[in-house]
Amino acid sequence: MLFMRLELKGITKRFGSFTANDAIDLVVEPGEIHCLLGENGAGKSTLMNVLFGLYSADAGEILINGESVHFATSGDAVRKGIGMVHQHFMLVPVFTVAENVVLGFEPTKSFNRVDYAAASDKIRKFSEEFGLEVDPDAIIEELPVGIQQRVEILKALSQEAELLILDEPTAVLTPQEIESLIKIMKDLAASGKSILFISHKLKEVKAVADKITVIRLGKVVGTGLPTDSEEELASKMVGRSVNLQVEKSPHNPGTPMLEVKNLVVRDERGVAVVNNISFSVCQGEILAVAGVQGNGQSELVEAIAGMRPVESGTITINGTRVDNASPRECLDAGLAHIPEDRQRDGLVLKLSVADNLVLNTPRAPQFAGRGTRKLSKVRENAEKLVQDFDIRTESVDAPVGSLSGGNQQKVIVARELSRNVDVLIAAQPTRGLDVGSIEYVHKQFIRERDSNKAVLLVSSELDEVFSLADRIAVMFQGGITGVVSPDSTREAIGLLMAGITEHTNV
Amino acid sequence: MELVSTLVTPDVVIRRDTPAGRTRVIGAIMSLMALFIFWVFALGATSKASSIITFNPLNTSGGAPWHLASLTLPSRVSALVLAIIALAAGIETIVRVPASRVMARFGFVSILFLLGLFVWTVRSSGPSPTNFIDITDVLVNASGITMVLIFGSMSGIMCERAGVVNIAIEGQFLGGAFIGAIVASSTNSFVLATFAGAAVGALLGWVLAFFAVRYRSDQVIVGVVLVTMIASLTNFLNLTFLTPFQQYNTGVTPSSIPIPLLDKIPIIGPLLFNQDMFFYMMYVLVAGMSFALFKTKWGLRVRAVGEHPQAAATVGIRVKGVRYFNVILGGAIGGIGGVAFIALHGQFNPGFTSGLGYIALAAVIFGRWRPSGAVVASIIFGLTSMLASGLQSFDVPVSSEILGMFPYIITIAVVSGLIGRVRAPAADGIPYKQD
Repeated sequence: MLFMRLELKGITKRFGSFTANDAIDLVVEPGEIHCLLGENGAGKSTLMNVLFGLYSADAGEILINGESVHFATSGDAVRKGIGMVHQHFMLVPVFTVAENVVLGFEPTKSFNRVDYAAASDKIRKFSEEFGLEVDPDAIIEELPVGIQQRVEILKALSQEAELLILDEPTAVLTPQEIESLIKIMKDLAASGKSILFISHKLKEVKAVADKITVIRLGKVVGTGLPTDSEEELASKMVGRSVNLQVEKSPHNPGTPMLEVKNLVVRDERGVAVVNNISFSVCQGEILAVAGVQGNGQSELVEAIAGMRPVESGTITINGTRVDNASPRECLDAGLAHIPEDRQRDGLVLKLSVADNLVLNTPRAPQFAGRGTRKLSKVRENAEKLVQDFDIRTESVDAPVGSLSGGNQQKVIVARELSRNVDVLIAAQPTRGLDVGSIEYVHKQFIRERDSNKAVLLVSSELDEVFSLADRIAVMFQGGITGVVSPDSTREAIGLLMAGITEHTNV
Repeated sequence: MELVSTLVTPDVVIRRDTPAGRTRVIGAIMSLMALFIFWVFALGATSKASSIITFNPLNTSGGAPWHLASLTLPSRVSALVLAIIALAAGIETIVRVPASRVMARFGFVSILFLLGLFVWTVRSSGPSPTNFIDITDVLVNASGITMVLIFGSMSGIMCERAGVVNIAIEGQFLGGAFIGAIVASSTNSFVLATFAGAAVGALLGWVLAFFAVRYRSDQVIVGVVLVTMIASLTNFLNLTFLTPFQQYNTGVTPSSIPIPLLDKIPIIGPLLFNQDMFFYMMYVLVAGMSFALFKTKWGLRVRAVGEHPQAAATVGIRVKGVRYFNVILGGAIGGIGGVAFIALHGQFNPGFTSGLGYIALAAVIFGRWRPSGAVVASIIFGLTSMLASGLQSFDVPVSSEILGMFPYIITIAVVSGLIGRVRAPAADGIPYKQD
């Protein structure tokens, strides 16, 4: 097996007048984990698509072990030993693991039949060699996301990839799955594979990288080492100094605005995923709900926002009972909601930015008359919010789906915060966002808190929880295992997240 | 994060929940059918009525070396027995909620229902009956239409498995039938007619592919336009060409080809082994497609293109090429179906396929995009269509138009998820756009 040394020289890719990649140089040594760090829209994905044969470069060359290569299709790239693990997996959901892995490179027996026995053997062999445990006969859609990603990696390896490109691989993973992926990447590198890891998450990059290349606005702006501080890397990536520490005034809670008592919520299978939870959030404070994903946080938020029936218990927003109320009644009671899945629950992607900015106030008198809409007012409102919240969009008439993830989230934040509300709940508000957008969203939350709103933040990012929260409630298997102060140690919260409750205080 | 990561929970494999509720719905439908047998078929016959069921087709029984005695059954008691068995099956399904073979049970009750219908249809008021129904005759009569439906549904599966909706089956039938009539009449060769029909069907498939794949048009709209266009075109050509030159539309039909020995088996002999060349071609087609789609490299790639074209493209599969190939091949199969229809019918008449292509499309859905499933669906739809026209000669107070709705009612029930779970290929009908 040949190890691969990949070199990109002066890669330039233009789309019309826009230069997505500007003379990019990059070297990946065999057995090296090379991180490509950059914000969303910096040109990382374009570069990877050039490297994987999906785009052809306008200038520059790709060298593999010193030899210049040209890829017309991704098939060419695969044949030269480049494997890609896409952010949105390229797996057929109804196929088995084996069918997906051999697709395009099928071992056959007589009559052109696919030799699935050989395929399964091959998968087992690779599974063992690289410690990627997968059942070849499992159906993809029945597997958790983390395992599906393993199948993607296996697929690339079975096509004899020597260089693996991982495009934002952690965006869809839970913290445990991320740990497991990092271990897999290190094992692969140790066995001689080269890895090109694309990310904008500094912690992960520091945890896994041997070398770091930072790109911004299509250009390489610097290189780094995993020993560099997060602030250093972040400022290279964003192009200005970034304050990762959120500054906020002392905790000074007022009267309770959101009260949850003995709440029980069941999921589709009838399991009590929120099991007898009580807490309250006061004016001027941020209560963060921490926990490993899938411990009832999503259902808790949905119940409060009126999107999921409540089995028993009460939810009160500023004195109004809203358990089993409709989403509209919850909003009218003074709730702003930033949902976990912004593209499914937060936006109508094909509608314009302006329309999305008034989605929660369709009948408000300033935007609607008797059966007609006041389109000029909707536009005015949009232009003001785009200005105030720094939403980067061509125009307020552009479909919101054409915006970057960070700007989509800003649309939601702008919409929800532009109403005068008492309670803000936000679920995973910075998932998939770049550093600049995260910083921005965090600032908005602090601003809301300081203007005496009650904020409930649900996040599985412990960094976020620590930097924003006034109090931290930890959820485990549908219950709250403890409410602690943000001065607590990570270890203490980790234990609570695992359901161990001796350290409860505050 | 470091500490949390050590507390790894085991990976959970999500299993599809068993559709117990749906099984009960099917059981309830079976029970309703049983009650229908009781109320209508049993109570609808007088206590003295009797029914005769025979098993020998009139035209072949003379020469056949076998003879099954005809059955003279007391109408009411027979229907009652059928109702009880059907009810038992329905209740068993509701109570036990079997994990598998639910559809087999449903099929069994459907057969009981048909038998009940026959018994009731041919009931005679007195002890010396005058009406009779011949089971073999019924099946043989239904086999022709079933065969055409199977050709149509194979055409549909070929296209839809690759992600292109072929709603133009009706048009391929008409085009194939038109050219088939001309070639068969002028050359007296159905082999040549088959090639001609396949060519016309393939051409229509190419047009569909050209718009659907190359220009990413809405496939349903292109399909409907094609059907309308072909219907008008064949009408026009029929009027201007076939009417004045009737030597090109003589109504020849191919002869039956009995398979030695096998054709002598009671019931299934005349049904399966004494048919024309198209019937045997259909066997090869169904077996070939089942094998090719689910066992071969080609089939795996086709299904990948129909499910997730982007994934197929990243491993070097030419998505558009696969789609072109399959739609053209599917069109050719549809065209041959049209020739099979003319072989059944004799003369070409404008619009005489009367929606059969759409029923074939329904059979694709009911058969869950599998050749074997589509065959079962085609048999059910073929029997119903036959009954719709055949029962008119008996004293049945149900109009044939009502019975003719049956395939569509079943299809709606299936598509709405009432009976079993159906799932189209994920990219079916969605144009593929290369990045």
